[in-house]
Amino acid sequence: MSKIVIENVSVVKKKKLTPDCFAITVAPFSKVKSIRPGQFVHLQIPNCNLFFRRAFSVYSVNTEEKSLEILFKVFGRGTAAMASLKKGNRLSLLGPLGSSFRKPKKNELIGLIAGGVGFPPIYYLSRFLIENGFDPKKLFFFYGGRGRSDLIELARLKKLGLNSVLVTEDGSLGIKGLVTSAVEKWFLENKGSKVVYSCGPEGMLKAVDQLAQQYNIPGQISLEAPMPCGVGICLGCIKPLKSGGYTRVCKEGPIFEIGEIIL
Amino acid sequence: MTPDISVEIAGLSFKNPILTASGTCGYGEELADIFDLSQLGGIVTKTITMKPRDGHPSPRTAEASSGMLNAIGLANVGVDKFIEEKLTYLEKFDTRVVVNVAGTCTSDYVNLCARLNDHPRADMVELNFSCPNVDVGMEIATDAKLAEETVSKVKKVFSRPVIAKLSPNVTSIADIAVACENGGADAVSLINTLVGMAVDINTFRPRLTNNTGGLSGPAIKPVALACVFKVYKAVKIPIIGIGGISNYSDVIEFFLCGASAVQIGTTLFVEPDAPVKIVKELKKYLSKNKIESIRELTGKVRIYK
Ligand SMILES: Cc1cc2nc3c(=O)[nH]c(=O)nc-3n(C[C@H](O)[C@H](O)[C@H](O)COP(=O)(O)OP(=O)(O)OC[C@H]3O[C@@H](n4cnc5c(N)ncnc54)[C@H](O)[C@@H]3O)c2cc1C
Ligand SMILES: Cc1cc2nc3c(=O)[nH]c(=O)nc-3n(C[C@H](O)[C@H](O)[C@H](O)COP(=O)(O)O)c2cc1C
Ligand code: FES
Repeated sequence: MSKIVIENVSVVKKKKLTPDCFAITVAPFSKVKSIRPGQFVHLQIPNCNLFFRRAFSVYSVNTEEKSLEILFKVFGRGTAAMASLKKGNRLSLLGPLGSSFRKPKKNELIGLIAGGVGFPPIYYLSRFLIENGFDPKKLFFFYGGRGRSDLIELARLKKLGLNSVLVTEDGSLGIKGLVTSAVEKWFLENKGSKVVYSCGPEGMLKAVDQLAQQYNIPGQISLEAPMPCGVGICLGCIKPLKSGGYTRVCKEGPIFEIGEIIL
Repeated sequence: MTPDISVEIAGLSFKNPILTASGTCGYGEELADIFDLSQLGGIVTKTITMKPRDGHPSPRTAEASSGMLNAIGLANVGVDKFIEEKLTYLEKFDTRVVVNVAGTCTSDYVNLCARLNDHPRADMVELNFSCPNVDVGMEIATDAKLAEETVSKVKKVFSRPVIAKLSPNVTSIADIAVACENGGADAVSLINTLVGMAVDINTFRPRLTNNTGGLSGPAIKPVALACVFKVYKAVKIPIIGIGGISNYSDVIEFFLCGASAVQIGTTLFVEPDAPVKIVKELKKYLSKNKIESIRELTGKVRIYK
């Protein structure tokens, strides 16, 4: 049986979260059960005449309804067209794609570090871990953005009952500063083994990657690259490996180990 | 009556005329997660060179209107690893394997094909005389004499059929095709990508680190059809049509202009299972039009005199 499928799905729900941020739920997708946190889907967006599909992390899944939710921000033509999708619109979905986050060890404190639209996969991972028996008290969710409007879905995050640390550069919500400063403070204040998982803008990921290496904390980051195919056949989505050569973000990634990629 | 979509090229039978194009299907492993490769007429593997290559730095692909630009730079695992791992992997599929090779000079092509001759899973070789993104092979693509000489030397070391893959970035593609035929090529495949460029108006930077790249996808289909049409009039050997094919009707068009089989490239990036759909629809088209075999269609375009 095929591990990766192409199916036509319908928009079953659409929510406007901020003027340029939306959550849409699509169904039915036959492979919902096999999706793991960190994986993504490749969507062919109708009515915008774009040649390539667009990649989106899975934000949540509902196995009974065979639905999956994605959260996106309007960047360009494709995401603008997605913003005007309506309930009932159909689109082609290719997935599930890419690697997923590995499970932490039972005794580890878990640092979940999200910036901007890096929120969906980190939220999904947090929820998945809690649903799979991890103690929410051991989960520390660091959520960073430029200002308060970047920190979306706070009510939903709160429901998970984990420790959350909100950080904004302009101080309009939570701690003022960079999310990595808050993470460093957490590293210093907590003894015992830790692991971090992060997704966000590349500048932030670079800082997280350096910080984790400096403190010898293992973990994983989720990377982005423009993706023509999403399945590993075009060799267009590459990043340089520290060990030499390139790796494909869509196939070996999007989840990579701390220190693996030259950012 | 179920219509016959099998074809024959240089004495080798193909269960259907749909092959996947070099550089757009890796070595088959990724597509095998999506559909059974045995449903393909054949698979043309990513260009292999003597030594492994990383290719150009990112960005090396860019979206274009109805297509894309690429300057991957022939990233590949090199012939040793290819034979050891990739060709072995392809053993288990019931489909033709065409191994695409490239080098910087005639002797590279000869050495590569001599190596492959010992591995019968390589049903055919396709000589990439046409990659616009590296110096590799481009000279041979534009120089009829050099192309003829390279084909004839390869024919001496490779005992199975040899295909020459041609570039559209030449003054007369028919002249190069004729030279390859004279050199002993068993078939020609065309076209490779057209040289193209795109620039970011905010940074003033080209969208590819190689500055220029190769245009592919539906945008190039009319150019490819005209090339097949011209070459069909010039040579007797079979033509494998390539360029922007995304559905069964494109395949029929290529046949009518002179193709005996086709390769699907860029479409796989958007619809990786396209070959499976196209095979089904080809059968439907033939049944509906009461055509017994797709082979009847080659070159049957009714041209205006
Ligand atoms: C694995 C993966 C998961 C993703 N998950 C999400 C998600 O959950 N939510 C979300 O909002 N977005 C996500 N993205 C990003 C999303 O794919 C892009 O926002 C989208 O492709 C932009 O399309 P567009 O047509 O609107 O913009 P375009 O017009 O294509 O591009 C607008 C600008 O963004 C740049 N750009 C486009 N795509 C990318 C990219 N992938 N990486 C870096 N720069 C890019 C372009 O160069 C251009 O400058 C993800 C990307 C990847 C690779
Ligand atoms: C990303 C990419 C990589 C390619 N790599 C190769 C290659 O390694 N060797 C080759 O002979 N052709 C290569 N090609 C050319 C294709 O095989 C094909 O000739 C061309 O793209 C036109 O067909 P299409 O429009 O169906 O893609 C490549 C094309 C693309 C888009
Ligand atoms: S997007 Fe094509 S290889 Fe990754």
